[in-house]
Amino acid sequence: MFFDLVSRNSKRSRKENGLFFASLLISIVAFYNILSLSKQDVMIFLTKLESDAVNKLLTMIPLFYGMTLFILFFLIYFASKFQLERRRHEFGVYLMMGMRRSKLFFMLLAEDFRSSMLALLMGLPIAILLSELTSLLTARLVGLGIIGHQISISFQAILWTAVGFYLIKLIAFLILSGKIARQEIGSLLVETPEGTKKALPSIVYALALSVGVIFLVAAYIMAIKGLAWDGVGKMGLTLILGFTGTLLVFFGFRSIMGFLAKHSGSNKKLQAFTFRQLQENIIRRSTTLAISSLLILAGLCCFGAGVAIAQFYGGSQQHVLDYTFDGDSQDITIVKETLASHGLDSLFSELFEMRVGYIRSAEDRNNAFQMNSVMEYLAQLPESDDRNVLLNNLGYQTYPHLISQSSYNRLLSIAGKNTIELAENEAAVYMDTEFISSTKLEMLNRILSANPKVQISGENYQLTGTVQSTSLVTDRSITLSFALIVPDAEFERFTENDYDIYLNAVLDPEQIAGKSLLNAISDTNQKLDAAGLIYESYLQNMGRQLFYVVAASYITIYLAIIFLIIANTIIGVQFLTWQQKTSRRYKTLVRLGAPYETLCYSAGKQIKWYFGIPTVVAAISSVFGVRALFSGLLSSRTKSNLSTMMMISAVMMLLLCVVEYIYMVAVKKSSNRYILTLMVPEREE
Amino acid sequence: MNSILEIENLCKYYGKSDNQTKALDGITFNVMQGEFLGIMGSSGSGKSTLLNCIATVIGPSSGKIIMRGKEVQSLKGTQLADYRGKQIGYLFQNFELLDNLTGHENILLPLSLHNVPKSESNKRIMELASYLEITDVLDKFPSQMSGGQKQRVAAARAVILNPSIILADEPTGALDSKNAKSLMEKLLGLNQEHYATILMVTHDSNAASYCKRILFIQDGVIFHELRRNIPEESQQAFYERILKVMAQLGGGTANVL
Repeated sequence: MFFDLVSRNSKRSRKENGLFFASLLISIVAFYNILSLSKQDVMIFLTKLESDAVNKLLTMIPLFYGMTLFILFFLIYFASKFQLERRRHEFGVYLMMGMRRSKLFFMLLAEDFRSSMLALLMGLPIAILLSELTSLLTARLVGLGIIGHQISISFQAILWTAVGFYLIKLIAFLILSGKIARQEIGSLLVETPEGTKKALPSIVYALALSVGVIFLVAAYIMAIKGLAWDGVGKMGLTLILGFTGTLLVFFGFRSIMGFLAKHSGSNKKLQAFTFRQLQENIIRRSTTLAISSLLILAGLCCFGAGVAIAQFYGGSQQHVLDYTFDGDSQDITIVKETLASHGLDSLFSELFEMRVGYIRSAEDRNNAFQMNSVMEYLAQLPESDDRNVLLNNLGYQTYPHLISQSSYNRLLSIAGKNTIELAENEAAVYMDTEFISSTKLEMLNRILSANPKVQISGENYQLTGTVQSTSLVTDRSITLSFALIVPDAEFERFTENDYDIYLNAVLDPEQIAGKSLLNAISDTNQKLDAAGLIYESYLQNMGRQLFYVVAASYITIYLAIIFLIIANTIIGVQFLTWQQKTSRRYKTLVRLGAPYETLCYSAGKQIKWYFGIPTVVAAISSVFGVRALFSGLLSSRTKSNLSTMMMISAVMMLLLCVVEYIYMVAVKKSSNRYILTLMVPEREE
Repeated sequence: MNSILEIENLCKYYGKSDNQTKALDGITFNVMQGEFLGIMGSSGSGKSTLLNCIATVIGPSSGKIIMRGKEVQSLKGTQLADYRGKQIGYLFQNFELLDNLTGHENILLPLSLHNVPKSESNKRIMELASYLEITDVLDKFPSQMSGGQKQRVAAARAVILNPSIILADEPTGALDSKNAKSLMEKLLGLNQEHYATILMVTHDSNAASYCKRILFIQDGVIFHELRRNIPEESQQAFYERILKVMAQLGGGTANVL
């Protein structure tokens, strides 16, 4: 009988509060996904190449696990609280009929255990599937689709997921059941008083609203001007202003709702009722709503930062070269001989030297290169941050690298780009993309089109063409901030035949045919290792970049999703609980002749506003938050890249819209189902 | 006089054959235009079921409910919503005011449900409010009103759309005697001066003495009918007659052990 009751109760709870159950499933998925990170294809691949960094990241996993545990505890706590609150009356009846408190406690514990078990049984397969999917998807996104994917269920992750999940559920349950057990039967039986909170004079709310807005604006300005990054104190002040500002705005928001309810223009479809319901809901839950809004903001900021970091490190560099043999640590002629003697040169379709050197012919190294005319042109441009940065950076370029024209043209033709033509006394400018944003690039190209005069080692030259930026070698961490491409004869003269040679290689397409690029490179690596050569491969280099991308973006995006889910679940559960608490009002409306559709319409409108208010506040704040993060974290290239930022913001907003839409639809469905149950009259004496 | 509401052989059964409860077992009566009809009976006699059937909150098992010549059971969709909102006004025992709306907003609810423009009714609200003496509490929330004020606000809400008939379900049930008396006087006034038709379910003989005619229901059938002889019979005398019938209800002294 006892277990029958337990099973029936837990089944009913699941049915009545699907959203709560869904949040349980989500926590399980979240736990498993963070714990099984080491089994992801990308991570397995990276361990081979960048084991140190990967291991460092993986040692941080427990930290993230702990953090997720902590955050999800609140989700579970809130959701369980609503769930138990709704059953107060039922508990009162059990106690009235003589059930002992200890038995009630065990009954609830058993119910909880049962629903947790079910959530685990349903959640783990979803989690494993999702983890595999993420693994495949990230592998594909970063261009590793090539690896043979292996299904890798992490039993350790399953174990820790279950442990963590039960732990937080148990703690939440103990706290909540303790609270309920201490209450008198009488107070359990009576419907909880709606608690018409004492209303303060309306001027207080209007004041709170305006002070909140002022605080928020101050925080926005500090964030956007970059003041927040000046020191811990200012950062703290910005955060405190933002936090209290949001709280105050939500606290004062009731004055707007009251105004809307009073002056709702049309009297259509229960407008007054809709706004009064909302007003009451917002009054009762202004703090929780503010926190939910801040969580959404945190999610958006994490997401924005994650995408930006991924974009920054992921870059859009074309893949041209597969290998570079460094001339510093080995003699390039020996490398060539070794390749030939081992028959390895046939592996490559292209094998050419990239020659880079300094202007050694100049007597004064601090003035080996002068481009006064370029600086003058720049100085004439209208004042802007970009111009000032360029003026500053180019001012230091008095002893730049030189690149030989023939080797650079070879690179261009392999990359499928047009080669550059240089006449006598002409040079082209090379700058790596890492050092120049698109607006600065445009600025420089405009100046170059005027063929400005410069002096290399005292000789007159003119700059021509556009700024070049194709990577010279495989290793993306070797970059040149500023260099000149000159014809070969001049190159040899200026460098006095003392220059660095990087031997670049491209794998023969036949080598890759039939297998993945990864396997082709891995096979080649083995052969090169056997020959004792030192080299940098595209893969190692990709691994390094990938690591940054995966480490930063995976975790930030993961956190973003968790934040979003928690905030939305709290909002949704809160709305539904409140709706159930005020069911009597809906019943009255039914008796006054309100059709089902009108009630659903009113509830739908309430849901839209209830989700919309915190979301819109968060979205507005996120515009500033993400920009502040960019200016604080990223290099100049991304900072000034407005269009990329707009893109990221647009993607973020789109994602937010999708998430909110899904939640609203789910909550609406649940609310409609509930309203339908209210349409049937029940006997009341 | 025209009849507004005709009830023909109305039955409502709950449960299956073996274990059937006959809440209404063939009730037939008419309500005339401008009538103040009381329905009395002990708890469980079927009064509320009858009212719920008329309000279309529940469907009868058989029989007909005809409102102004239209059979109510055949109404669907907007017609049904219109019937609920415009043909009947409902006065509840527990007032059923929405506690988060002001008095004014509560009275406006039926308008909002049936898309009637607010402007048309402003004058009517003010008239009703001054007649029902609730002008002061229009901007207050129900928690700030007394029981009597709440029920009078509810009465304003019930009549705001000029319904064909007001269904009152134990309207004095939650009021003290003073407020009950004042409410009944207002209802009587609505009936006599504004020609509102009222069908009131009650087991309060005092409240019932305001009616012109009373039907007594027992075990789902009409058991007795009383008419007040106006103007010869005083309310006091009618009240005493009601008490006598009430004493007979449930089998009278025959059932007393």
